Formats: sequence, structure tokens, C-alpha cells
Amino acid sequence: MIVDAHVHIGKSARLQIDVGADFLVEAADRLGFDKICCTDLTALFYDMHEGNRLLYEEMRRFPDRILGYATLHSTRFGREALDEIDRCVHDYGMRGLKIYSTPEASIAEPAMIPILEKCAEYNIPILSHTTPDECEYLMAAVPEVKLMMAHAGGQPYAKGDWNRAIMTAGRHPNLYLETASSTIDAGFVEAAVGALGASKIIFGTDMPLLDPYVQRAKIVQTRLSPQERAQVMGGNILQLMGFQA
Amino acid sequence: MILDIHAYIGKWPYWPVDASSPQEVVRVLDSAGIESAAICSTRSLFVSWMDGNEETLSAVERFPKELIGFACLGPLDLSHQRLRQDLDFERLRARGFLGFRLYPQHHSYHPLYERFIDRACEEAATRGQPILLPLRVMMNWGVPAMELGWMVALVERHPRTPWILAGLNYFHELKAGVSLLLRYPSVHLETSCIQGFHAIAKLVEECGSQQLLFGSGVPLQHAGAGVEKILNARIRDSDREQILYGNARRLLRLP
Repeated sequence: MIVDAHVHIGKSARLQIDVGADFLVEAADRLGFDKICCTDLTALFYDMHEGNRLLYEEMRRFPDRILGYATLHSTRFGREALDEIDRCVHDYGMRGLKIYSTPEASIAEPAMIPILEKCAEYNIPILSHTTPDECEYLMAAVPEVKLMMAHAGGQPYAKGDWNRAIMTAGRHPNLYLETASSTIDAGFVEAAVGALGASKIIFGTDMPLLDPYVQRAKIVQTRLSPQERAQVMGGNILQLMGFQA
Repeated sequence: MILDIHAYIGKWPYWPVDASSPQEVVRVLDSAGIESAAICSTRSLFVSWMDGNEETLSAVERFPKELIGFACLGPLDLSHQRLRQDLDFERLRARGFLGFRLYPQHHSYHPLYERFIDRACEEAATRGQPILLPLRVMMNWGVPAMELGWMVALVERHPRTPWILAGLNYFHELKAGVSLLLRYPSVHLETSCIQGFHAIAKLVEECGSQQLLFGSGVPLQHAGAGVEKILNARIRDSDREQILYGNARRLLRLP
């Protein structure tokens, strides 16, 4: 089963995106993806309540294809954010959390700790758009939480430094690397699997921002065993989200 | 048939890369179905552009079917002396270089205020030899990048030059490239760092396919991933062939 762990749905002015579930499921069909793990862009950058509710409605339309991340746009909403996670898990059936971090508003701060603890309590993974250094802070704060470093360092704030991401993930048993990125450096996937094992690498495309064919080729056209490829391309994220292997 | 307009030979100082020798690079290209590639040596970026050019020529002599030499051009001034020699474009052509490359971000100069640049652009225009101008060597956020405004200003100053704009990624970078493509028929855009969703199809829709060139960034970037985005782009097969080969063949005047 192929699962894309990093997909965006909805609208973002900054990312120039406006897509619904029909578009994404059709794209997933063409790519041969069985499931897509989505985060709503309104929830990610504007209003968590509105965005998560919109995602839930799309999940209901495609219950076998769309897995949902509860999404927060900030660490600074205290009890309100924790209640939103409760709602997303209990009422909406979401299986993970997505949160963004920027140098101007880094989530590597004490306000994030209750959120980490909440996710650890629910045993749901967090897909965080964070740098390796931010992940060091987060894992030190709550080592038992399952954290996926979105883009594995291959994003502007992390300066594309996937080598540092691999080293950081090697220090923390519950830190995983998610592969979506504009960066298509030769050897990245082999280096990550070689250093960390296939069980810590999660396939994602970041569509509809990035070209999913490029992201798929990064994994498929590498020197991985069939078993390793199956783990990376879907097995790992399903396991983190609590599905039976 | 695939002709790659943006590849390298040579060492990569920032992290280990599997392929660096000409033989290793040719093997990587072959594994992705790329028959030939325009290269320069990374030695030109980090050690000496002139030494790197010798390495490039040596590689082309060894693999004449698979590799095409582009000469890297750089400043003639050194810290302790001003070289008396000038760029000899006739000799570069005679030695087999089919185009040139500029790397201001690696050679510590401003392309609008460096003395050799204007002459190089005019020579390239007169001779019909392309200049590949990379915004960045590869799509990694940690690798030095040139100011986008420098690229735009340089092209606008020399609109007759056969430019190959390289290393553009998305959003405003790609929009700037599109703007230059639409205004100047001499401008081409290579694909190695374009990773956006439906980006190739949108480029063809907006600009046509005639000014687009396939580039991989091999051996620094994943060869197969670069090819996949062209093979899976929702464009006509005739446009795909132009991007993968036809446009580069015409630009480089290959048989």
C-alpha cells in the first residue's frame, strides 16, 4: 500500500494553492497512491477550527482515501489548541497533528510542550515543518512523542541540510524524517536509510505544491530492498497512525 | 533521446556524492536514460575556473558521445595580481567548448560590475554560443544562490545573448524566468530545479516548449527524478521531445 504522508488541501494565498479533495484523489489515482494524509491550509495558516472542520468534511467524502492531520497554526492558543486536538481525534477521526514553524514564530518553545504531551498521550504522530535544531528541542522536551521532521531538512529554514537532519534523527528514537522537498539531492534517501534504517523514513510529496512524480521517483528509483521501499512508501506512516501492519 | 543541458563532473565539497569522475557521471546519466550531457567541472567553481575547464575538456575527449563541454568563465583579477591575458573566445571554441557558464555566487563578483562579463555576453551573442547562468547549482537551500535581480538585469542588459537560465525553482523565481522568456527569444530555461506541481505543463502553456531545456543537475541531484517530471508532464509528446532533446540540439547546433 502506498501512502503519501504529506499532502495539502484547501486554500493558501502564500502558497498559491486552492484545491479540494476531488483534485487530490484524482492525482493520487494517477500516481497509484492508496491513501493521502492531508492537512488543511486554512487550519495551518489562519484558523484551526475552520480548517480542520473543512478537512473533516472532505474526509467524509473519501473515507478510504484521505487520512487527516489535526492542524494548528500556532502554539500560542493554549487550552483552545488542546481542545481542538481533542475534537479532531475524537469527533473527526484524525490520526496525526500537523504544525508549521518559521524563524519568526518557532514552535521550539515552552508553549509547544503541552501540545507534544497531548499527542504523546493520544499516541499520534506529529508532522512538523521544523529544522533539525528545533527537533532537538522538541524531542528533549517530550522524548516519547513521535515526531516526523517534514522535508528532512530540505526546506529553506533548515538550509537544505539533510545531513544534519539524519544526524539529529539518529540521536532520537522517536524522530522520523519525511522526504518531500524541492531538494532532490542524489544519495539522500540511501544515506538516510543507511544511517537510520528504513523504519524511520516516511514518504511524502507535499502536493499540490511540489511535483509528486519527482518525489515518488526519489524513493522508487533508489537502491532499497522491496521491504524497505514498502516501509518508506506507506508502512511506516500507517504504523505511526495506529493501523495494523 | 535525452540531452541534459546542466550536469557536472568533479568533486562536491559539502557532502559525499557517489559520482564525480567522468566515468561515474556517464554511468549515472546512462542509468537515467540520458544519452548526453553538457558539463563543466566543479573544480571551476571551487578551485580555479581555468583548471576546471581543462578537466572538462579532458572528460569530453574521453567521452565524446556522452559529454559536451561548457567553459566556465570567471574573473581575470586575482587577489595579488591582475592577469594580463584576456579571454580568448576563438580558442575556447576551437578547443571544443560549445557554450559558457557563469557562477558569480561562487566567484565573488557582481555580474553587472565585472569587467569580463559584458564582453563575454557580446561574444556569445555574436558567435551564437549559449551562456548558462545558474541561480543556484542545485535545488538545495544551503547552496549559494545568486540574487534573482542580478540574473534579470544581466539578461535585460544583453538580450541578444543566447541565455540558458538555470536553477530557478518556483513562485517569483519562475515568474521572472517566464517574463524573460516571453520578452526575449534568445532566452532559454532549464528544468533541473523546477519542482512545482504541474510546473512543466504550465510553462509550456504559457511560453510554448521551444525555449525549455531539460537539465538534471547530475551528479548532485537525483537523475531519475529530473527525467520523471518531464516524462509525466501533461504536455504533447512533440513538446516533450523538444524539451528533452530538440531545443538543445538546435541551440548547440548539433547534427
